[in-house]
Amino acid sequence: MTRLAFDSFLVAMLSVPVVTLISRRWPKARALPPVLLMGSLAAGVAVAAVGFWGGQRFTVDVSQVASFSFALSVDRLSAFFLLLICSVALPVILFSSSYIPRHYAGVRRHWLWVLLPLFLLSMVLVVTASTAFAFLFGWELMTLFSAGLILIDGDSEQRRHNIFIYLLMMHAGAAAVIGAFLLFLPHAGNFAEMRASATLMPPPLRTAVFLLAFVGFGTKAGIVPLHLWLPRAHPIAPSPVSALMSGVMLKTAIYGFVRFAFDFLGGGPSWWGYLVLLTGCVSGLLGVLYAISEHDLKRLLAYHSVENIGIIYLGLGSALVFTANHASIWAALALTAALLHCLNHAIFKSLLFLGAGAISDAAHTLDLEELGGLQKRMRLTGAVFLIACCSIVGLPLFNGFVSEWLTFRSFLAASEMTNLSAAIVLPLAAGVLALIGGLAAACFAKVYGVAFLGRPRSRQAGSANEVSLPMQAGMGVLATACVVIGIFPGLVLRGLGTLTEELLPGAALPPAAASLSGVLPWIALFVLVLVAGIAAFKRAKKLTATWACGLPGLDERMQYTSTAFSKPLRRVFSQVYKADRTLDVVPADQPYFPVSISYRSVRTTSFEKSLYRPGVDAIVTAANRLRQLQTGNIQVYLLYIFAALIALLMFMRWA
Amino acid sequence: MTLVMNALQVLLLILLAPLVRGVIARLKARIQNRHGASVWRPYADLLKLFRKEDLVPASASFVFRLAPMVLFTSTLVVTAFVPLLHGSALLDATGDFILLVYLVAMGRFCLMLGAMDGGSSFGGMGASREALVSTLSEAPFLLSLMSVAIAARTGSIAGMVQWTMGQSFFQFSAVHALAFVALALVAIAETGRIPVDNPTTHLELTMIHEAMVLEYSGPSLALIEWASAIKLTVVMALLIGLFVPWGMASSLSALALAVASLVLLLKIAALVLILALVESSVAKLRMYLVPDFLGVASALAILAVVFTALMR
Repeated sequence: MTRLAFDSFLVAMLSVPVVTLISRRWPKARALPPVLLMGSLAAGVAVAAVGFWGGQRFTVDVSQVASFSFALSVDRLSAFFLLLICSVALPVILFSSSYIPRHYAGVRRHWLWVLLPLFLLSMVLVVTASTAFAFLFGWELMTLFSAGLILIDGDSEQRRHNIFIYLLMMHAGAAAVIGAFLLFLPHAGNFAEMRASATLMPPPLRTAVFLLAFVGFGTKAGIVPLHLWLPRAHPIAPSPVSALMSGVMLKTAIYGFVRFAFDFLGGGPSWWGYLVLLTGCVSGLLGVLYAISEHDLKRLLAYHSVENIGIIYLGLGSALVFTANHASIWAALALTAALLHCLNHAIFKSLLFLGAGAISDAAHTLDLEELGGLQKRMRLTGAVFLIACCSIVGLPLFNGFVSEWLTFRSFLAASEMTNLSAAIVLPLAAGVLALIGGLAAACFAKVYGVAFLGRPRSRQAGSANEVSLPMQAGMGVLATACVVIGIFPGLVLRGLGTLTEELLPGAALPPAAASLSGVLPWIALFVLVLVAGIAAFKRAKKLTATWACGLPGLDERMQYTSTAFSKPLRRVFSQVYKADRTLDVVPADQPYFPVSISYRSVRTTSFEKSLYRPGVDAIVTAANRLRQLQTGNIQVYLLYIFAALIALLMFMRWA
Repeated sequence: MTLVMNALQVLLLILLAPLVRGVIARLKARIQNRHGASVWRPYADLLKLFRKEDLVPASASFVFRLAPMVLFTSTLVVTAFVPLLHGSALLDATGDFILLVYLVAMGRFCLMLGAMDGGSSFGGMGASREALVSTLSEAPFLLSLMSVAIAARTGSIAGMVQWTMGQSFFQFSAVHALAFVALALVAIAETGRIPVDNPTTHLELTMIHEAMVLEYSGPSLALIEWASAIKLTVVMALLIGLFVPWGMASSLSALALAVASLVLLLKIAALVLILALVESSVAKLRMYLVPDFLGVASALAILAVVFTALMR
């Protein structure tokens, strides 16, 4: 039954592009693709829910008809990520059903409705594949379809350059993933064989597999320093696509990493865990620090994805350290934390990107310095954006807090381990996570405060209007999910507990994990009752003008800007930014009575340059050397062919 | 019975908070050779403000009025986790010290948003500075609590208090002293006292908290003021509970509770005296020295965690 539903889900998804192409000349069928897509996604949610909570496994094997072994299989881990993809994509498509017709017409709209379902389907393929071929097939398609979706928004020189970097890094990452699969040879066929053969592998080979998976999936997840593509590719996509890329696509990399590190390899030595932990710390801190200095909303959100991937890696690293020390109960807790943060980040990050879409729809700009006062003009968008901000910051009663709390809890549990280095390092990682949380709070106070509060900083922002109903509904669904998971985390935790039990042999989610679910609903009730009570008590208010020290002429340019807000933090963490400043005072010999002053400050990511520049230079130099082979002289080419022939013959003779 | 007692604890803390503020102000005045206002003045202020009308800038949204309410409520929830007279609290869950840190952060986040909704430069200025201080204080706050949690082998604040009560005062370890100093430094930053922030200033060059609340008036301002008074007292109660809980009632008899109340008042009085002395003798730090101040707190908290882990 479930299997049938899964099949029909796949077929329905595949049919959307076909229907789009067939009905493209028929204006009345304009609503058909989104409706069909939402219907099939709803089926996907149902199937995934049965698989995740019910624990039903099912397989779709088409190896007989395909020339490669190609099979899909849904176990609990796959079901969880399938649930993540479908349940987040559903509201995003609902949002798009109004957003896309408003912003894209003609061919571009058709392309969006063709590529979107294919992009979603490729992600579904990645998380449900049970053979190496199916996985890699989906993995490559996912990159290509997303690049295609970015291209729909235009193809200026700058955009092409960004897409080139995206594709380049994705393929470098994919090469590492393929390498990780190849090391399983001759058992690299399906996942069950790989799982069985992993236990027989010699340790150096296991390490090689782990490192390749770490680099390959890390590139897709956007860990520092492999995150270079992320703030370039995500902001230039259409907003719903950014939501899917940031919210959902990055999670497929986490899925791959969990599949390899926990399912196939079953954990390893402690240093694997420390490596992942360190990556998490660096990605989290640098991600959020770069985000603070941004004032383009989508770039800022893209950097926050780097940060949240860092938080997920903190949970994964802690789980690996626990596994290495045979504390599988706490490993289950840490892994649960990481997986829950995947889901939470998928929800609130896609909500934030949809919010960015709504802002650009209403105010025609994403530059924070030109926004302001949107809350009064876009009540619902503002409210859901606030919920998303509270969630990503990790405030209690919102979903981000639950997963961060679980991560903290696992760090605390480490102190009880006999292994001294783990007992010291993991609790200290809690300090890093707290610092990341604090910085994120500062950043989102800036984002929400500058964009939605105060007074509009530009005419467009002042004349913004609330977005259309489907867009509001899409965002509303996601915001509701943030609050529900934040107050009743038990809903998801129970399923995740069973999932980690299956993944880590001998583990059971400790009761400590449930302690929070007992407290949160009461706090929520208390807060609700008290706030309602106070609100009822002090209903009367009187509107006045903002206090301007008794002087006239307070205008919106006197408000703190996004740049001004982040200045103290940028100054404290100036080591990270290395701003490139030039100050020209004319004339130079009269510093106190200048005719003109021009000041320019460009934030350079110096460490990225010093990291990537030598590699790029080396490749370019090598390419230039190689170019000397191409003389354009036909005799020389004939010589090459002759030399190659001789070499082959000699090889055949002695090999 | 325990439940009623725990609820009473919360109530006591909420009602006592303005008095603590009043006593500090009075003591500071005396130290500075002024007569000073009555210690009951904060109550009168709150009453006055609650009776006034709520002035809201025309450009402000619902966030402006919601922020003080959420700040107040979240501060109240924080008090429910801290034992006062005996070693148990209204809300008790393993890992609740993390919740406590984040509830405090929640209040601050709301106030930052409320400040920016006013539409003047003061609000943004205060929020920006508050963002700096709160960002850097969160890690040492959490780590110092964490070190006590590691030592006590429990994740709940009430559990930690009970554990410390079971220890002998003379076996007070150096680790505890480290955590105590770190938490005390954080407490100063969190509650906006000198040398991090000056609660009585009205000069835009120096103010942080006051700049944020400049636009507020009437009941909203009353909620903010009351919440910050509660926050100060609850942080004191946390310091007392975690590091010098001796004297708390071990049974729920009337005598034990009376003794516990008396001892608590003495301890709070001692802390108040120290605070007043420090505030009268130390100048406020330049804002860009505050990160160094919190850096010291962070270093101490890190050392506290490392040493507790080593000395288990």
